[in-house]
Amino acid sequence: MTNYKPQFYPGTTTPSKNRRKYMDPSYKLQKLRTISDDDLVRIMGHRVPGEAYKSTHPPLEETGEPACPIREMVTPTPGAKAGDRIRYIQLTDSVYIAPVAPYVRAWMYHNRWRGTDVGVLSGRVPLEMRERDLEKVAKELVETEIFDPARTGIRGATVHGHALRLDENGMMFDAQRRYIFNKKTKEVDYVKDQVGVPLDKPIPLGKPIAEDELRKRTSEFHASFEPFRKDQELIEWVQRIHMLRTMAGNDPESIKGV
Amino acid sequence: MGKYKDRVDLFDDRGRQIEKNVPVEALSPLHNPAIQEIINHVKQTVAVNLEGIQNALATGSVGGKWCSLRGRSVKADVVANADTIAKALIETIQIRPNDDTAIKVLKGGKQLQVTVPLKRLQAGVEYTTAVTAVAAALCHVLINKFKIDLWDADLVHAAVWGRYPQTMDMLGGNVVSLLAVPQQNEGMGYALRNILAAHVAMITKKNSMNAAALSSIFEQAAMWELGDAIGNFERFHLLGLAYQGLNANNIVYELVKANAKEGTLGDVVTSTVARAIEDGVITPLEKKKSGYTVYTTKDMNKWNAYAAAGLMAGTMITCGSARAMQHTPSVFIYFNDLVERETGLPGVDFGRVAGTGVEMAFFSHSIYGGGNPGVFNGNHIVTRHSKGFCIPCVAAAVALDAGTCIYTPEKLSGVVGDVLSEVPILREPLKYVNEAAAKIKGDF
Repeated sequence: MTNYKPQFYPGTTTPSKNRRKYMDPSYKLQKLRTISDDDLVRIMGHRVPGEAYKSTHPPLEETGEPACPIREMVTPTPGAKAGDRIRYIQLTDSVYIAPVAPYVRAWMYHNRWRGTDVGVLSGRVPLEMRERDLEKVAKELVETEIFDPARTGIRGATVHGHALRLDENGMMFDAQRRYIFNKKTKEVDYVKDQVGVPLDKPIPLGKPIAEDELRKRTSEFHASFEPFRKDQELIEWVQRIHMLRTMAGNDPESIKGV
Repeated sequence: MGKYKDRVDLFDDRGRQIEKNVPVEALSPLHNPAIQEIINHVKQTVAVNLEGIQNALATGSVGGKWCSLRGRSVKADVVANADTIAKALIETIQIRPNDDTAIKVLKGGKQLQVTVPLKRLQAGVEYTTAVTAVAAALCHVLINKFKIDLWDADLVHAAVWGRYPQTMDMLGGNVVSLLAVPQQNEGMGYALRNILAAHVAMITKKNSMNAAALSSIFEQAAMWELGDAIGNFERFHLLGLAYQGLNANNIVYELVKANAKEGTLGDVVTSTVARAIEDGVITPLEKKKSGYTVYTTKDMNKWNAYAAAGLMAGTMITCGSARAMQHTPSVFIYFNDLVERETGLPGVDFGRVAGTGVEMAFFSHSIYGGGNPGVFNGNHIVTRHSKGFCIPCVAAAVALDAGTCIYTPEKLSGVVGDVLSEVPILREPLKYVNEAAAKIKGDF
């Protein structure tokens, strides 16, 4: 079982290649910016920096666990062990060549981290995890190449804007104006937390990634850049799955060596 | 001779081999005596909450929430007299002395586990005989035992039967079956699908391997009853039951073991595909320009069973590492997304598990109400579409939860889970079903 090397994703175009890269946990995501632990906690807004983690149940060591071979084998995450609450971070990705397409987030999260509960909606991707596990993952989500301060938004509520045109500074629309483009520093400052509660002081998240750089890093298809229809191999794969789902659903015994 | 050539090795919940080279048909609900006994138990056995009856009589609170008959009260020491009530009840229910009627007094008289004789069910066509016979008999016994007069007999009826017949089911009643009333089934043959995942987790005392097995037995046995597991689809469900629910060839256990310490859902996908290649279930079809290899299979049913076993292992790794049940729908969607992208072959139940995951995600994450995975079953409007392959994973996930939900499995299941966990064949189905299969392996 150990010799098989996963291939992750078909396709020949840049977005497909980047999808493969981001979905591959052995690829280390490139760090582009630094955000302090406390600032990240402020933006997520679940607890005050320095405050102890609240719990939803006592630590597993105290409660003990039912006799279950799976529980005995499967190591709980640090947050589960401690009985942390389950909290979330929610991200919105602009359709204008943001680094990550919403669906890629789900595939990437499940390939890279344990105990992730992720769902994909039209304009947002919530990730729910035990609180301390979430904070660790969130740091990687915000500090690395899969986040662009201008085209990726940390939005717990009022998420829409992913399909609207970018503004004059290249920023994705946000009805709550959680972040602004600081013309002096040329950086994006978060002035509200993810649900729109004003922060005591702005938190800079760095400069927007340059357009040509984004084109190299993006895993999104776009008509103005690399359209989906250009990736013949991927189209063939989609058509194949559609055909096999339908034909096998009709009669699984009829599919042989296709 | 059996219909199918497939043979599997049988293992228990801890990966220990029970038997080698068993025809997979020995695990079919049509043949396996232990599965048939489980189904009979579900039909024959009900839970009685004597403490609930005593409180209802004392306070006049009958028929569910917010229903209280002020001024109505009957003092009856039901719990203290549990043994004599049980004796009278057995005499009322049994058809002949020493037949298969059985009553167990549990928790110091607070609960009864009552099994009605099979002949009572055979004398009718519905499976409701167990609840109706026990509830009616109990009313007679209580009225006689506590000498309750004509004017209070109605309160006894309400304390036992709940609000029925004003409601369709026995709302607020104190005789509970694992099966809902037939009117609450979404379609023909859905009775065994209408069992909460929380009940299954509690009956198996939160052993996730047994929770998966019991739930898979209920779900897949229902496929024979509702007309799905027949013709070209019988083997599809048979292999699904064996590999996903009953740990055939130890695949589920080994996939979990391989990823137990640090594995992610994606790692389970990789391990599943590797195992399928190793066992010759899938083979490379062609290499694409990017280097991507498309896989094919000569046995789509077997591939589905392997993917279903992987889905179970993926649930156990994801929900097990988080000790939380809410991740189940996310596993349904993305395990299948990933496995399809990894191989170029369709996911579990050919897309239906992924689709079910999308709906279940909405209805289990407070967006449109719903509830935690413990309230889901195969009869639920958003989880009925994958037939047999989703709910066993939900039951396993509920069993692995360490207490993240407001409505815990204990709260949701109540007396039923408690009482039925006293039946060994329901509590440890993997052991009994595998042993029964080993005994009949020569029949095929």
